[in-house]
Amino acid sequence: MATIYIDNQPYVVKDGQNLLRACLSLGFNLPYFCWHPAMNSVGACRQCAVKQFKDEKDTKGRIVMACMTLAADGTRISIDDPEVRRFRAGVIEFLMVNHPHDCPVCDEGGECHLQDMTVMTGHNYRRFRFRKRTHRNQELGPLVNHEMNRCIACYRCLRFYRDYAGGRDFDVFQWHNYVYFGRQSDGVLENEFSGNLVEVCPTGVFTDKTLKGHYTRKWDLQTAPSICVHCGLGCNTIPGERYGILRRIRNRYHREVNGYFLCDRGRYGYEFVNSPRRIRQPIFRSERSGAAQPVEKQAALEQAAKILGSGERVIGIGSSRASLEANFALRTLVGADRFYRGLAEAECRLLDTAIALLRDGPAPAASMSDAAQSDAVLVLGEDLTNTAPMLAYSVRQSTLQREIGLTKRLHVSWWDDAAIRQALQERRGPLYIATPAATKLDDVATEVYRAAPDDLVRFAQALAHALGAEIPPVSALPRKLAALADVVAEALYLARRPVVVCGTSSGSESLLRAAGNVAWALSAAEHRGQLCLVLPDCNSFGLGLLGGGSLADACRAIQEGKAETVVVLENDLSRHADQAALKLLDEVRHLVALDYLEHATTAAAELVFPAATFAEANGTLVNNEGRAQRSYQVFVPQGKTQASWRWLQEMMVAVGRQAEASWRSFDEITAALAEALPIFAAVKDIAPPEGFRMAGQRVPRQPHRYSGRTAMHAQADVHEPTPLADPDSPLSFSMEGSQRQPPPPLVPRFWAPGWNSMQAITRFQEEVNGPLRGGDSGRRLIEPQPDAAIRYFSDLPAEFEPRPDEWLLVPVDHIFGSEELSALSPGIAQLTPAPYLALSASDAAGANIQEGEKVVLAMDGLHQALPVRFLPSLPRGVAGLPVGLPGMMHVTLPGWAKLSKVTAS
Amino acid sequence: MTANDPNTRQNPHDLPPTGESAAKGPAAAGKKIAWVREPELGMAGRSYLMLFLQGLRTTLRHLLSRKTTVQSPEQRHVVPDPLIYRGVHRLNRDAQGRVKCVACFLCATACPAHCIDIVPAESPWPDRQKYPQSFTIDELRCIFCGMCEEACPVQAIELTSLYDLSGKSREEMVFDKAKLLSVFDQTKDAEPMTKGTGTFFGLPVSNEGTPGPAEK
Amino acid sequence: MLTDEERHEIEAEAAQYAYKRAAGPEALKIVQRHRRWVSDQSLKDVAVLLEMTPAELDGVATFYNLIFRKPVGRHVILVCDSVTCWVLGYDSVRDYLSRELGVKPGETTADGRFTLLPMVCLGACDRAPVMMVDDTLYGNLTPQKIDEILAGYRAEETA
Repeated sequence: MATIYIDNQPYVVKDGQNLLRACLSLGFNLPYFCWHPAMNSVGACRQCAVKQFKDEKDTKGRIVMACMTLAADGTRISIDDPEVRRFRAGVIEFLMVNHPHDCPVCDEGGECHLQDMTVMTGHNYRRFRFRKRTHRNQELGPLVNHEMNRCIACYRCLRFYRDYAGGRDFDVFQWHNYVYFGRQSDGVLENEFSGNLVEVCPTGVFTDKTLKGHYTRKWDLQTAPSICVHCGLGCNTIPGERYGILRRIRNRYHREVNGYFLCDRGRYGYEFVNSPRRIRQPIFRSERSGAAQPVEKQAALEQAAKILGSGERVIGIGSSRASLEANFALRTLVGADRFYRGLAEAECRLLDTAIALLRDGPAPAASMSDAAQSDAVLVLGEDLTNTAPMLAYSVRQSTLQREIGLTKRLHVSWWDDAAIRQALQERRGPLYIATPAATKLDDVATEVYRAAPDDLVRFAQALAHALGAEIPPVSALPRKLAALADVVAEALYLARRPVVVCGTSSGSESLLRAAGNVAWALSAAEHRGQLCLVLPDCNSFGLGLLGGGSLADACRAIQEGKAETVVVLENDLSRHADQAALKLLDEVRHLVALDYLEHATTAAAELVFPAATFAEANGTLVNNEGRAQRSYQVFVPQGKTQASWRWLQEMMVAVGRQAEASWRSFDEITAALAEALPIFAAVKDIAPPEGFRMAGQRVPRQPHRYSGRTAMHAQADVHEPTPLADPDSPLSFSMEGSQRQPPPPLVPRFWAPGWNSMQAITRFQEEVNGPLRGGDSGRRLIEPQPDAAIRYFSDLPAEFEPRPDEWLLVPVDHIFGSEELSALSPGIAQLTPAPYLALSASDAAGANIQEGEKVVLAMDGLHQALPVRFLPSLPRGVAGLPVGLPGMMHVTLPGWAKLSKVTAS
Repeated sequence: MTANDPNTRQNPHDLPPTGESAAKGPAAAGKKIAWVREPELGMAGRSYLMLFLQGLRTTLRHLLSRKTTVQSPEQRHVVPDPLIYRGVHRLNRDAQGRVKCVACFLCATACPAHCIDIVPAESPWPDRQKYPQSFTIDELRCIFCGMCEEACPVQAIELTSLYDLSGKSREEMVFDKAKLLSVFDQTKDAEPMTKGTGTFFGLPVSNEGTPGPAEK
Repeated sequence: MLTDEERHEIEAEAAQYAYKRAAGPEALKIVQRHRRWVSDQSLKDVAVLLEMTPAELDGVATFYNLIFRKPVGRHVILVCDSVTCWVLGYDSVRDYLSRELGVKPGETTADGRFTLLPMVCLGACDRAPVMMVDDTLYGNLTPQKIDEILAGYRAEETA
C-alpha cells in the first residue's frame, strides 16, 4: 500500500497503479478521455492533468498527466489547483474546436462522456468562431452508425478495435486536424465486437444503429439488470425499454464474467423481442393442422385443463433457453420422471459430460476473467469467436499476460499500454488452438493444429500423457504432432494459471474428456489447471443440472404409448430433433406449446400460450461456469403474455393441483426449486428477495429524469395509469424509489451525479476494475473436488481416415445466424450467411466441384441441396456444415455424408 | 489504520454519491464554516409600528390606483407583451411549412410536470436526422412554466398569449402535433417567431431552414 | 498490378525488417517513384505483399503527406507556408504561382505538368520564401525567379 496526498489530504492506495486510477478509485472527479478502465493509459488526450509537488515545501509544482504517473508512496498532487484547472479547461476547449456541438440531435446526448467532462472542467463558453473541419461519414453496416465530425481523436476506438478486439479493417487515417477513424472504404465492420465502439467512444462518433430506428434517450429508458440469452456465457446486460418496445442493450459490468464489453450478437440480438412473429395471445387449433384461433386466457386454461386431464400420460419437454424456474415449473407439472430436456440425445450426452468434468474433477471452472488472466491457453475443438464470442475476446487478452510479465525488467508499468505494446511488438504468449477449421483467434495463436475431431482427441490425449496423466501413450502419432504435443505440454506446465478451453460445439464427447484429462493432469501437478467449457445456450448448464431424458427418450415414450400429451416449453423442436422424431411429435394426440415466437413447434401445437421473453419476466440462468445469475423483468409485456412458469402454475391450478403449485411469486418458485433440488439451494440467495427495500423504497426501473410520464398514455387515456405492481422483485415499474446504489444484482443502470455516460461505472466499483460495491453477483452451483482421486478417461479413437466416397461433416458455427433468437433481429439477419457447405479447395477440386456450385447432401435420410463455399483450412476428407442457420435442418454432427452434384435438368 | 482514522481516509465515497454524502466529498474537505449572527432589534423594531404603517400605505395605494380587473369574457384582457406571455403552446413551422422540431427531447426532459411526450422518427428531409412522429402535450397537466420553450435549441416550441384555454372534455385538452401546429397557424401573424435572434449553442439560427418539401 | 520490378524492390526492402509491415512507408515510396502516385489498386497490391490490410497500409499512406493518394502532375511544386516564409511573403509567392499556373493550391494544371501543394516547412528558413520542385529546392523567391524556374521545367519537357 502507498500513501498519496491529494490536495494535502492523505489517502492509502494500492501499490503500482497510476494516479488517475487511484483518484477515480478514491471517488474524485478527474476528467479523462483516452484512458479506459479496460484499456489502460496512453497519455494521448492530456485531459487528466494534475499538479505534482516534490514535497510539502514545494509550492510551485509541475503539471503531469495522472494516467501516466505512478502513484508512488509519498506522491503529492493537487487536483484543485487553479492553474491545473485552467489547463484542463483549455484542453477541452481545444478538443471542442471542431466538435459540432450538435448535442440535441446527437444520439449520444445525455450519456456522453465528452459532455460530462466539458461540464466537469468548467469550459462553458466557446470562443472559436471559425469554420469547423468536416468529414464524410462512412456506412459501417447495420449495427454501428458513424458520425465522424464529432470525433475528438482520443484513439480509444482504434485501440479497442485493433489492439484489444483484434480487428484489422478499421484504422486511423491522415494526421493533424484531419485525423479520421474508419474503414479504408465503406463496408460492414468485420469484427464481432464492433458494437463496443458505441460504448468505448467518449462521444457520438459511433452510435447504436438499431437504437436509431426507435430512438430514446438514456433517461427515458426503463431498464433492469439482465443476462444475455444468446450464448452460454451469461454476460450481464442492461436492456432498455419504452412504449413496450425493447430499444437497446448495454453492457452491465461484472468483474468475473463479461467485464466492460459485449459481443455484437449479445448487443444487437435483442430485437427478436419486438418481432412481428411474437405470439401475444393464447392460440387454439380445434384441428391440429387447422387455422389458429386466438382465445381468451380463461378459455385457453380451461382447454389446457381438459387436455392435461388427470395428468396421466403427459410428458414435458423443457428448454435450454428457458429459465430454471420455467423448466422447474414444467417438471413439477408433468413429474420428474416425465420431464425431458428438449435436446437431442447427442446434445444431452455432451452436456452431461461437460458438467461431470467440472463436478467430479479437481480442475475448477474458469470464468472469462480467469481466461483473460491466464498465461497459457489451449483451445480444443471450439471456434470461440462464433460459439462463445466474449470468451474469444478474453482468450485474446490472455496472450499478453505472460509477455507483460516479461516487460517488468524494462521498468515499464503494466498500465502503460502504448509502451507495453511497443515493447512486445507481435510477441504473444502461449495460445494453442486445435480445431477442424481456421478460427479468428489464429492470428494471436502460437501454434494451430487442424484436424478431424478424432485426431484432435488423439492429440489432446498425447498432451495429457505428456503432462503425466495415467493414461497410455498415443501410438502411431506423427512425429511432428508428438513434438507439438510436447511443446504445448511444456508451455501449459510452466504457466502459472493455464486454462484448457473446450466445449460441446465440436460434437465430440471424447474431446471433452480429453480436455478434462489435460486440465486434471495440470491440476494434479500443482492444483492450478482450469477448465473452461463452452455450452450452447444461456441455460444449458441449468437444464443439465435439472436432469431428464433426451428428445429421443421422449420419442420412445410416445412410441411405447406412455405419452399422448406433450407440453413443450420455449423450444423449437425442429432445431434439436430429426425428421422422424418431429413426425412422431406431430402425430401425438395433444401438443401444448409455450413460447414467444412462431416456429415449427408452435405452428403444429393444438394450444399455444404466449410466453414472456428474457426482458418480460424474471429468471435464473446458469452460465457455462455454473454461475447462477438472476435476470430481471424490464417491462410488462403487451397482450396476454406472461412468464412461462406463471402459465404452468395456472394450468396446474386449472386441473385442480393447487397444493403442488402454491408458488404465486418468483421468490416462492425459487424457494420451491431450492427445496426440491438441493443443487439449486443457492439460487434463492443470489439476489435480494422481493421484500428488499432501501430506506423503505424499491429500486426504480426508470431514472429520475424519465420524461413524459403523465403524457405518454394521454392519447389513449387522459387518466395517468397507476404504476404497475411487481410482485416478483424489489424493482418498481416507475421513476419513484430509492436513488441510492442498490446491491449489484439489482443495479438497473450506471449513473452518478456528473457521470451520465457508461463511465459512471467507476462510481459503482469498489475500486477501478474491482467488483461492484457489494461483491460479484451470481453464485457458482458446483465446485470442483480438489482432493478426489482422479479417474482419467482413456478414450482413444482410431486415426481419422478420409473415405473415398464420403465426407465427415463437422459443425461450423456462425456468431450471426447460428443462434435461434438473435437471428430474428433484422440487424443480425442482414449479417447472417445463407446456408452453404464448406469444402477445402483441394478436396473440391478432387471431386470436381466449383465454388458456388450446388451439391446435394445426403445423410441419415436428410437431403439438402447447398451451394459450396471454400474453407481452405479444412483437413482432407472433412466438410463443414453451418449449424442453426435459418433454413438449415437439424442433424447430429459430426457424421458421414455423401455428396452428389446437382445435375442441370 | 482504520477507515475512521481522519488522517488516512481510504475512500471518501464509501457511501453512494447522493445528496449529503456527495457534499462531503473531497471538494468539501478542509473548507471552514463562518457563523453569521442575526442583528438585534431596537425599540422601534420590536413595537412593529413601522411595519404596521408600511402595510397601511400599500392598502391605501391600491385603494387609489387604477383598477386592473376586466369584465371577462365580455371584455378581453390585453396581454401587455405577447412574446413573454406564457399561454397555450404552439409548434413552430419553418419557411417550408415543416415542423421545426428536431425531436431532441429537451423540452420533455425539462418539463417538471412530465406532460410532454415525443415519439421520434428518422426525418424525411436531408437537413436533420430526426423529427417528431408524434408530439403530445397534456395541457391539463401543464403548469405553464415555460421551461420547454427555454430548453428548445431550435425555437420549435413556444408559449403563445392564448390564455383562455378551455374544452368540454379532458381528451380535448391533450394536444397532439396537428393541434399544436394549428395553434402556430392561428397565432403566427399576431406573434411572429423570435426571428433572427435565436442562437443554437452560440451560433445564429435562421428560421428559413434548407429547402425541402412541405410537411402535409 | 505491381510490376515485377516494384515487387522485387519491395520484397528486398521488407527482408530487412523483422516484420514485413515495417517496410510500409518504403514500399509506398517505391510505388510512387514508379507511378508518381499510389492508387487504391496499388495500395491493395502492396498490402497483400506486406501481409497488411488495406486499412492498415492506407493509415500509413495518408499519414505521410508526401505519399500521394491522388494523381499528381509530372512535377510537384511544394510551397512552404510555414512561419518564416509567411513573414517573408509566402502569400505573394503562392498567389503568383497560382496565377501563372492557372490552378489553386492542391490542383494540377490542365496539361498535367505541375501540381501545386502547400507544405509546412522545407527546412530552409534562411532562404525564405522557398519552394521545392520535385527534389530541387529554390530559395529567395521573387516573381522573376519563379518565371525562370517554371520556364526551365517547361523547356526541359519540350526539348
